[in-house]
Amino acid sequence: MTPSPDGRPIFLEIADQIAADILVGAYPEQAQVPSTNELSVHYRVNPATAGKALNRLVDDGVLYKRRGLGMFVAEGAPEALRARRRAAFADEYVRPFLAEGRRLGLSLDEITDLIHKEDR
Amino acid sequence: MTPSPPSAHPSGISLNHVTKNFGRKQVLTDVTAELPSGRIYGLLGSNGVGKTTLMSLICGHQFRTGGRILIDGIDPVENPMVLQRTCFVHEDQLYNDSFSVRDILAVIPAFYPTWSAETADRLVTRFRLPLDTKSKKLSRGQRSALAITLSLASRAAYTFLDEPYLGLDASSRSILYDELLAEYAAHPRTFIISTHLIDEVADLMEEVVVLEDGVVAVQTDVDEARAACFIVRGREAEVRTLVGDREILTERHLGTILSATVRGAVTPDDRTLAERTHLTIEAASLQEFVAALGLHALDEVARKTEVAS
Repeated sequence: MTPSPDGRPIFLEIADQIAADILVGAYPEQAQVPSTNELSVHYRVNPATAGKALNRLVDDGVLYKRRGLGMFVAEGAPEALRARRRAAFADEYVRPFLAEGRRLGLSLDEITDLIHKEDR
Repeated sequence: MTPSPPSAHPSGISLNHVTKNFGRKQVLTDVTAELPSGRIYGLLGSNGVGKTTLMSLICGHQFRTGGRILIDGIDPVENPMVLQRTCFVHEDQLYNDSFSVRDILAVIPAFYPTWSAETADRLVTRFRLPLDTKSKKLSRGQRSALAITLSLASRAAYTFLDEPYLGLDASSRSILYDELLAEYAAHPRTFIISTHLIDEVADLMEEVVVLEDGVVAVQTDVDEARAACFIVRGREAEVRTLVGDREILTERHLGTILSATVRGAVTPDDRTLAERTHLTIEAASLQEFVAALGLHALDEVARKTEVAS
């Protein structure tokens, strides 16, 4: 796993990746997600880092622990993740996109035109 | 010999004001650190800073000049129990010249009650080690592959890997990292890895210990080390305003542009100011951080010499 340029800890990157995998249906509700050791070997990171990623998702209510069995996708997690991603969409995509358009001297109409053209 | 004093940390390595001189040259001036067992540590720092020496002292392969070393509460000096629990294959390890790889693999298990023949066989196959080749005929890469095979198969509670990748190509290094993590996951133990390929190995480590100028300059969790410094670049005056009284580890100039490696974490205020004054802020990689610490130490030495003369 390559560290992100803004210095975000690797465990957050891995947590995001697992969340993205849940969103695309790789792990349905109530399905078991890979163990700390499996994630460690797959992403080539220290197991402590992989463990932190899983714990972060438990804290967020995306996963839950079954003692002695492992980690499972919580009921309603995909829907909750989608809602969260939608809420972040304006901040993470729309605002920087508008700012860059404005820096280049594009009007709001020109920007909307571009969006419609791309959507065709 | 007097019995070792009991340790406050019975499980792990405890270094207390450790010093090591070679003749009049003092390599380790004052090394103090607690390394709890069961983690993967990265031992980092510039060339000649004493990483290999420190590992040799911990294993009892060399004698320290002063201070105290305890491994699971026991002084490693001339202690056979510690030798069984530690594995350190030196970079220039001498084997009997007449020994082939097969002979070495037949002899070494006798030293380790924890030896795994299965791991040894698997690594020999994966690294394609030539079993009938005499040890002195091995290439640099093959010597490294043999050292890694012995180290991982020993399953020693404390395994030391001193720049284990020397001479290994990219795919062999990949095998090393995969096997290390698989072994660690299946049989948790303590690994101490010295490396200059810091960014390549950083994700494998849980904690880093940076040696500089004979002492431990930094000991921290990898994520914290990554957040411990950043690089800000832009016009010099604006860069200096943003840095304020924080410590600049290294500076690089290009005309009126200054690129400064700053010790500390980026604050939201930094981000606002950077945006307003057209500065770019980037996270420094662990490698950049360690390199900056090394350059900073060199500058300090140069300054002290200047003052003295």
